[in-house]
Amino acid sequence: MKDVFKRFFFGKREKYWWMNVLVPLVSILLAFIVGAIFIKITGRSPVVAYKLLFGASGLFPGPYWKSHFSEMLLSSSMYIATGLGFAIAAKGGLFNIGAEGHFIVGGITAAYLGYAKPFAGLPKFIHLPLIIVGVILAGGIWGAIAGYLKAKRGIHEVITTIMLNWIALYLIEAWLVIGPMKAAVETGISGTPYISLSAKLPKILPPTRLNISIIIILAVTFLIWYLFYKTTFGYEIRTMGHTLIFGMEAPKAAGINVERKTIQTMFIAGAVAALGGAFMVLGVLFQYPPIFEGGYGFDGIAVALIGQNEPLGVVLAGILIGALRTGATTVQLAHIPKTFPSIIEGFAVGFIALQMLIRYWLMKLVRGRKKSVQTEMGGGAK
Amino acid sequence: MNSNIPFLNASIAQALDYTAPILFAALGGVMSENAGIVNIALEGMMRFAAFFGVWGSFVSGNPWVGLLWGVGIGILLGALHAYITVKWAGDQIISGVAINVMAMGMITYLLESVFKTTGYSPPVAYFGAPASKVHLTFLKGIPILGAFAELTILIWFALILVVVLHFVLYHTVLGLRIRAVGENPHAAETLGVNVFKIKWFAVISGSVLAAFGGLALSLGTLSSFTNSMAMGKGFIGLAAMIFGKWTPFGALGAILIFAGAQVLQLFMQGTATGFAKLIPLGFYLSLPYMLTIGALIGVVGKAVGPASDGVPYKKES
Repeated sequence: MKDVFKRFFFGKREKYWWMNVLVPLVSILLAFIVGAIFIKITGRSPVVAYKLLFGASGLFPGPYWKSHFSEMLLSSSMYIATGLGFAIAAKGGLFNIGAEGHFIVGGITAAYLGYAKPFAGLPKFIHLPLIIVGVILAGGIWGAIAGYLKAKRGIHEVITTIMLNWIALYLIEAWLVIGPMKAAVETGISGTPYISLSAKLPKILPPTRLNISIIIILAVTFLIWYLFYKTTFGYEIRTMGHTLIFGMEAPKAAGINVERKTIQTMFIAGAVAALGGAFMVLGVLFQYPPIFEGGYGFDGIAVALIGQNEPLGVVLAGILIGALRTGATTVQLAHIPKTFPSIIEGFAVGFIALQMLIRYWLMKLVRGRKKSVQTEMGGGAK
Repeated sequence: MNSNIPFLNASIAQALDYTAPILFAALGGVMSENAGIVNIALEGMMRFAAFFGVWGSFVSGNPWVGLLWGVGIGILLGALHAYITVKWAGDQIISGVAINVMAMGMITYLLESVFKTTGYSPPVAYFGAPASKVHLTFLKGIPILGAFAELTILIWFALILVVVLHFVLYHTVLGLRIRAVGENPHAAETLGVNVFKIKWFAVISGSVLAAFGGLALSLGTLSSFTNSMAMGKGFIGLAAMIFGKWTPFGALGAILIFAGAQVLQLFMQGTATGFAKLIPLGFYLSLPYMLTIGALIGVVGKAVGPASDGVPYKKES
């Protein structure tokens, strides 16, 4: 695991820095090719499928473009949120599988603060920021638990975040939503009550559903970029990520409080991913339903990996995945199930995992000489 | 008292039904992680195998053919995971995420193209059919042991496998090599162990075990594939493996505790009074995961994994 971070982070100082851009692009391209083969094998036409997929993705102008475009940005904002959740932790050398949990924790917090009595009567300009602050705190604390366990007890964050995902899921969906937060029976609503008008995210492109979530998340992305590349705090976190392979001795020697930074990093990661859940509740569903349509957290991992854990990369990858998911509803016209994009996504992540191989191939293509490639890559390919 | 025996036995049999798929997944994890390769794709592999098992049984009308199909896809996925993580020293978590994401998309896709249905497959021939079960009639009527009178062959296989895997890991040369590779691959290499071969073997056999977990769901407990079938089972298996300290018997013990929590929940729902009634359902469901974190913190005994677990191995050049 440490090795991957070494590759991700030392990557930029490499002679062939453009590899970091080319590898995700090639991975996506390969994934589309494999996806086409898969469609062909199952007896459908890949051309028709991709035409439908991209035609309705919101990326290109066409019929109903406005509504596709808004749907794309709606889902992209959530993918960017969970993607950033993974990428932020990765910058600090942490593997955060917990975005799924942070997402639903954010969702339930937004729902509660959105309908609960003392808050629901507030004017919008106080109510909405209050909810966002609440979501950031709740998601952040849920994330910081894993950070704390890693920093103080040395427990691997992959394990704790997976466990915390399930704990969050069951505590929310098998307790809160069917218990204390259940809507009154006479209202006939399943799940939590609907949030008050003052809690809904303002729309920006009527008559579509598009709301300010995409603006919020782009601002957050900028803040994260600023934090990481323009502040001491971010520099120290990146130092942790860079030097993970040396067992954190170097940042410690430089006076960085590694334990506290780990907890803080996980707090930020959890808080940003939780925003995604808040977007879902405040902008799309307006309540927390009995069963939340999940997957945004796990797709966030894919988004971050395709975006190479860079803020800008995450935005682009988030828009790509959002577009694929939006277009997916139309591929059903060609009798192709709408889960088809997750096949492409899965392959793209698979090829990213195989990036040593892809780098090796690309190098071979560029240099045309096998031997020098091996030595320049540190003999990684065996 | 006598009338309670069938009920007790039926409850235990039900708990065993719950246990088998998770046990397979946990044992798959034990195999793979003892050789130093983390496999968080247990969940995805179960999903793949559950579907392919049903598909094979649907095509042939014979659950054994389904079993072969499921094992086949397990081998393929294991080879994929090993190719990424062992041959190319790729990241094990990313590879696992890729397989899980693929399982989500590809199986739903195949479900709709093969059976023309959404969410579930038609019923097929399975091991849970009364005629296909392993009948030990002489056990019937005996408390506790009676639960073993009519089990599917997959449950028996899971239970026997615990012993077999324990023996292989701790009492054979192969097992010693697997553990050596997981603890310190460089030292193992120095002693002439082929680290890559051992890792390939452990990852693929671990995936096959996870595949059996999926088969135990779709061809053991149920007779069809449903879309939400494997939901979380692979991750409970992962938790059980950690809670059981990366050993076969530990994993079995962990799952029995988890199953106990489930039984307790059913029991409490019906009969609890006073304070116990206030404990919500969600608490029992999340108990396995809380226990696992507790085990890692050291509240419930310290859980420490193989030293080189998760670290990609590269030969020194």
